[in-house]
Amino acid sequence: MMRPILRVARATFHEAWRRRFLNGILLFAILIIGSSWVFAYLQPGAELQMIIDIGLGAIRFFGMLIAVFMGTRLIPDEIERRTIHTILAKPVSRAQFVFGKFLGGAATIAVNLALMGIAFYIVFAIKAPEFAAAKPEDAFIFAAMYSNIAKAIVLALFEIWLVLGIAVVASTLFSWVLSVIFTFVIYFVGQMSDFFQQLSDPGRGASQIAQVLLGALYRVLPHFEIFDIREAILQGTYTPWGTMLQTMGQGAAYLVVVLLIGYLVFNEREV
Amino acid sequence: MKRPGKLARVARRCFAISLAIKTENLSKIYSQDATGRPVGLIDLSLEVEEGQIFGLLGPNGSGKTTTLKLLLGLIFPTRGSGQIFGLPLGSNATKERIGFLPEGPYFYEHLNGIELLSFYGTLFGMGGSRLAARIEELLHLVGMWDRRFIHVREYSRGMRQRIGAAQAMINDPDLLFLDELTSGLDPIGAMEMHELIMELRDRGKTIFLCSHLLKDMEPLCDRVSILNQGEMCQSGAVEDLLRVEDQYRLLISNCSDELTQQLQTSAQHTEAVGNHFAAYYADQSGALAAAQEASAAGAVIEQLGAHHRTLEEVFIEAVGGEE
Amino acid sequence: MKPYKIIGWLAVIALIVAIQPLDRSVEYNRLILGLQQPTPWFQIAARGAAGDTELAVTGVTGVIVGAALGGFREVAATMLWMKTHEYWHKGEALQAKSLWLMRLVTLLDPHWLEPWRVTAWHLAYNLYVETDDPELRAKYLQMGVDCLREGVSWNPDRYDLYMELGWTYFDKVEDFEEANKWFKAAMRYPHPEYVDRLVGHAYERMPDVPRALDAYDYCLKRDPQDHTAKGATLTIRERYLWPWYLAEQGRYDEALEAINEYLLAKPSSSLGLHVKGHIAERAGKLRLAYDTWKLAGDISALDFLAQNKAVELAHELGIETEDTAQYLYMQKMGKDLKVTIPGRDRMSR
Repeated sequence: MMRPILRVARATFHEAWRRRFLNGILLFAILIIGSSWVFAYLQPGAELQMIIDIGLGAIRFFGMLIAVFMGTRLIPDEIERRTIHTILAKPVSRAQFVFGKFLGGAATIAVNLALMGIAFYIVFAIKAPEFAAAKPEDAFIFAAMYSNIAKAIVLALFEIWLVLGIAVVASTLFSWVLSVIFTFVIYFVGQMSDFFQQLSDPGRGASQIAQVLLGALYRVLPHFEIFDIREAILQGTYTPWGTMLQTMGQGAAYLVVVLLIGYLVFNEREV
Repeated sequence: MKRPGKLARVARRCFAISLAIKTENLSKIYSQDATGRPVGLIDLSLEVEEGQIFGLLGPNGSGKTTTLKLLLGLIFPTRGSGQIFGLPLGSNATKERIGFLPEGPYFYEHLNGIELLSFYGTLFGMGGSRLAARIEELLHLVGMWDRRFIHVREYSRGMRQRIGAAQAMINDPDLLFLDELTSGLDPIGAMEMHELIMELRDRGKTIFLCSHLLKDMEPLCDRVSILNQGEMCQSGAVEDLLRVEDQYRLLISNCSDELTQQLQTSAQHTEAVGNHFAAYYADQSGALAAAQEASAAGAVIEQLGAHHRTLEEVFIEAVGGEE
Repeated sequence: MKPYKIIGWLAVIALIVAIQPLDRSVEYNRLILGLQQPTPWFQIAARGAAGDTELAVTGVTGVIVGAALGGFREVAATMLWMKTHEYWHKGEALQAKSLWLMRLVTLLDPHWLEPWRVTAWHLAYNLYVETDDPELRAKYLQMGVDCLREGVSWNPDRYDLYMELGWTYFDKVEDFEEANKWFKAAMRYPHPEYVDRLVGHAYERMPDVPRALDAYDYCLKRDPQDHTAKGATLTIRERYLWPWYLAEQGRYDEALEAINEYLLAKPSSSLGLHVKGHIAERAGKLRLAYDTWKLAGDISALDFLAQNKAVELAHELGIETEDTAQYLYMQKMGKDLKVTIPGRDRMSR
């Protein structure tokens, strides 16, 4: 049951590293992260905040780009290059194939994120103490930063996995361009989901229909902002593991929904 | 050439009616053409017995690959149904027992021969030394052992075809689907493949061949079905299809008009075949007499004997008969 | 539809419903932990409508792009902030569009302290000196203070904006009581040591001599090498403690004599004059108090407390006077300067 999934995942993982485009994004992201300390000087007095904004922002943003551009190609490439024919002719069900492709992509994302994270940690460890020394009263924030950054990257991983899942499912439904656009829109709208909540606020004079529709939209859309704990980093707040687990659990639950939809769609898809 | 005799077939039918493939009105209709005729595969009913080499023949676009994809569960029928070894199409249990070589096969470019076969092998849950031994055996079999470390992206078409055949056989399948087996292969390679297939058949495997090269399939297949525009127009054992009862042919060249007229009166019917002239007779003695006559008239006897049709002729006849 | 598909889609719906409690719980926890930072869409839109149209488009686009990208919200704020720097260099920092842009930055990234500080500074200091109209000045003071108060509400765990707010009260409004409230709030969080001394300075100028000494005492206990606190303690003990002590005893004439003695040596000492004005008011010598505060206010144009007291006493004495911005501000805040003198409360106790 698991073996074909893992085998497809492994092949996907190996193949992903041969895509120049994705390597290019990764390289560019690491470059941006590596130079995040330069941007820090844009905000005198808030260098630490800036280095984190740029560094973690780049990890999430480029991770998302990699997820979208890889995820929307994983299955269509197999179909277009007809490699899927020989694989599905073997004892691999469509569900196993979809989950295998997703898992391989997820592993690729994890390694990409780990590489970006390591690059960021190195930059941070070199430059941050210098910035922190200039503001001794923020020492407590700085002290919590190392662990908070690790937590932020873990949550970013779940966020980007979710983006990958959406991209993979979208690619089984739409053409490539459309699925890229679809995934971006879901991601952006998901980031702004609080906007729908505000819009549907009856205090704002939203009509009853608008309230129901927007409220439903708000409930159905994945709330990508829950994976963002930069506030905690910048404020030096401790993020409890309970909340971390809850957030990861929610990410996993969203993923189950997305992959289930992917299975239902792909199971009847002709290749 | 070994073919199971009529008796064997009868015996099989009586005692162990095991069909490798059975379809009933299997259809896949994509659209309709301008005249309202459905495009795709229409009402295909097939029965392929175990241990046969079955050829699904027809020109390009006649629905062969569609049939194959339907049987493999890659696409789903609009109506009708099918079974492989009594199991539903596209189930993992079915796929455990089959092998598939697509036309002009594509594989992961970044793998080499061994990695590729090991990838497909593990999809069957194979592994360890058993898989390694199987891979070595197959690479030798398809003549790729010396080139086993070359990556797929550097393969020629023929090499792709060979490694494709190897991956199709990785699980030692009972039923092998081969789409345009010899495409991209040189004549020697094609011959090797043909020998391989017959060897497999002799080991009791069932082979399902798809090809537009009717001539190549003629000596290979036990049974064929011929498709044209999505519909089956001929089906049966190859020898039955090709045999023409009581017909003898005389083929001559350098034929004078006088002789032509003579032969036209004596023969059942005549025809011009290129530069040659053919005359058909109902019995052997008549043909022999005509040959002597022709020889006396100074014509050159090119061929004389019992007449067999080619599959091409069968096909053209079938298509022509339809119109 | 095949049965497995129906079951599948039902499962999808069921899962989405099942996620909701978890979703709410996560949202709740994020709110508690201060991780949630809702984008105030309608505030931004409203500001956009009120401001320059072209700029509104730029700003709102920036906010939407920044917020949509999620990861780069703060970066978007930084970019908008750099735009305000551009205005600053063009000498347009005080124009409405620049202020509006700054406000936008505080909306977009309310945990970034710098924009709060700079925006408030523009309002309470720079716009303040652009006009001579006390009413307008009072309005700018209020806007500056309000801006910092909002900033504090976003960043209640940092000393920075408490301190900034206290300093604005201390330096610009000269409401020392209010200033100390915020300085003391700042002291609850990690802070630089000068904040502690500011409390002393504020009491000193109020004046509340015993509490000033207490504050400096605290500084010295924390750091015996605090030379500023040490010097301030010595000065207060030497110059003001004795007159204050006499006034506490109700010996006002002696107290006034004692402070006059010091003022003979240093007639322009604003602290000395504050103490004298304070004692005179306590003694009920309102005219003397008025003259003293007036003098202090005239000596230093920035001694807003003295000017306020002078205006207040002038109203009480029926002397014609011109209201200052600070006085108007205090009036608007419903503050009666008289009751803010802690000495009085103590007397009545």
